[in-house]
Amino acid sequence: MTADDLPGLNCGLCGLPTCAELAERLQTEPKLIERCIHLSPERVQGTKPASAAPVAAAAPGAPASCGACAPLQERTTSQSRLAPTWHDTLGRDIDFYLEHFPEDPGPREIILPHNPMLTREMNIQPGEILIGRPLGMSCGCPITHCGVVMQVDARTGVIVWCVTGPLNPRQKGFKDLGYYIAEGYEGMVAQTRVELKIGMRYFFQPRMCMLQWRHSGLVNFMNRTSGGIQVRLEGLWIG
Amino acid sequence: MNDHIYFDNSATTPLDPRVSAAMQPFLAEVFGNPSSLHWAGREAHAAVEHARQQTADLFAAKPEEIIFTASGTESNNLAIIGLVEALDQRENHFITSAIEHPAVLEPCCYLEQRGLEVTYLPVDGDGLVHPDDLRRSLRPTTRLVSIMAANNVVGTLQPIRELARITREHGALFHTDAVQASGKIPMKVNTLPIDLLTLSAHKLNGPKGVGALYVRAGVVLKPLMHGGGQERGLRSATENVAGIVGLGRAAEIAREDMSAEAARLVRLRDRLIETLAISLPNAYLIGHRYRRLPGHICLGLAGQESEAIKLLLALDEAGIAISTGSACSAHHASEPSYVLRAMGFDVLRARGSLRVTLGRFNTEAEVDRFLDVLPSIAAALRPMTTRRPESAPAL
Repeated sequence: MTADDLPGLNCGLCGLPTCAELAERLQTEPKLIERCIHLSPERVQGTKPASAAPVAAAAPGAPASCGACAPLQERTTSQSRLAPTWHDTLGRDIDFYLEHFPEDPGPREIILPHNPMLTREMNIQPGEILIGRPLGMSCGCPITHCGVVMQVDARTGVIVWCVTGPLNPRQKGFKDLGYYIAEGYEGMVAQTRVELKIGMRYFFQPRMCMLQWRHSGLVNFMNRTSGGIQVRLEGLWIG
Repeated sequence: MNDHIYFDNSATTPLDPRVSAAMQPFLAEVFGNPSSLHWAGREAHAAVEHARQQTADLFAAKPEEIIFTASGTESNNLAIIGLVEALDQRENHFITSAIEHPAVLEPCCYLEQRGLEVTYLPVDGDGLVHPDDLRRSLRPTTRLVSIMAANNVVGTLQPIRELARITREHGALFHTDAVQASGKIPMKVNTLPIDLLTLSAHKLNGPKGVGALYVRAGVVLKPLMHGGGQERGLRSATENVAGIVGLGRAAEIAREDMSAEAARLVRLRDRLIETLAISLPNAYLIGHRYRRLPGHICLGLAGQESEAIKLLLALDEAGIAISTGSACSAHHASEPSYVLRAMGFDVLRARGSLRVTLGRFNTEAEVDRFLDVLPSIAAALRPMTTRRPESAPAL
């Protein structure tokens, strides 16, 4: 491509002060053509070398950086072995299934000991195993949970843990929180039958829930990632 | 080195010392009223006309096509309301975009309340107006299309040539709010079918309190200010001579330095973007990667959008001035940006954008310091997710 093929505006918007300099650089860096905003997309595409890997198309109707509206999805991930029934074990409707992050050992929860001072008094540290029951407003689940600590905020007492199976405490030892409040969940939504929006409350089924009871929570964070839609839910309860 | 770094050039720009020097005589010894016939008036008049030529040269316009006003806002009002007042048809339709500056949207809203029909064109995820959307919206009663050349929040450059051409072929007039774009990208009205163009001095290193409206010969407007008949009767009031001289000089400097300065700012901007992509993996660029003003970056931090105000204040304490949204929205900082909402962002992300706009006096050293400071400030914020930012959309 020569300077004659370029607009000749010498605008500098490509990062080079003149079209002649851009034309010279294009001989060794053909991808620089993308920087000329005055050329039509077809002209730019025709000038670029063929890509080694195809570029994945963005989801139609959604800007790449916005996770606001997740369209209905029925695809099944490798984590889900069950065909969706859209009901919990008590026959109540659910809107979506919540999976745990693939890099985590189990569902990630944000919890607060009923006595927040325990976090410091017990010197809870990442990597330790805790057990406790989510009492009261949070969930009201009758089952004692156990999990591995991921993060600790000593100032507020908030703990981030991943719920794991009961084998871990037996093997590694554990600390007993007593009661705690489940303040939030984070996970991936692979199957949903509603459009997800930040600020809305939904009924959802944590895939690993031991009672397979539906939960309710408000989505206050959403992010479209390569593995699906990441969400954070707070204001939790069961039922 | 001054500890303060100013990265908010889209809000306003520092006065160029060369502009200040040009204005000085007109703040003191050259004080005449340009409308007076005597020596004092003639001196002032000559200075105003010289500035008019300098401003016209920036756009390859004729000097008689430049009307000086007090601001970009006034120029927009004159273009839109002044045109409606001059129309003699009974049914009138205007088209604009959903992401225009309030100085365009509010006059349109005012006119809607008085019976004008207005269509607000949508934008895509990059903030671009699609020419096909304009084509579909044009009606036999369409009199004016007003699309900004560059958006003040995101920096997106609109396809003005194509939009103006479609408008001209339809037989309507095309206005562009070029307040952000003037002096930064070439806009020659002898090759672009633009009929009305707004600019503001303080966005191109000139003084505040002065703007201009390019009015193509043959376009008829009615004035908003009635009085002594200055500016061809379109803007009565004794001229702000010093300010107009400043605008003229600022326009001249911008025209002379445009391509080299644009290239320099693009290199600084791109270095900032590319370095942040490594040091802040949860940072994402808002708007088109290349179709943006040379020094303009709008970005978000995935999972930390709700903390944008805290980040802005922390940077301010570190002596670095940036903004969220736009300066005109400083009084409504708790509201989500309507520009980002129009681009499809949810209410949380639409509140969480950061705007970093580089200008003539920003240096590599300042960019280096910003790149040093930002990651540590961002790391101290409370994220909305406890998960590591593994695959946030890349810059």
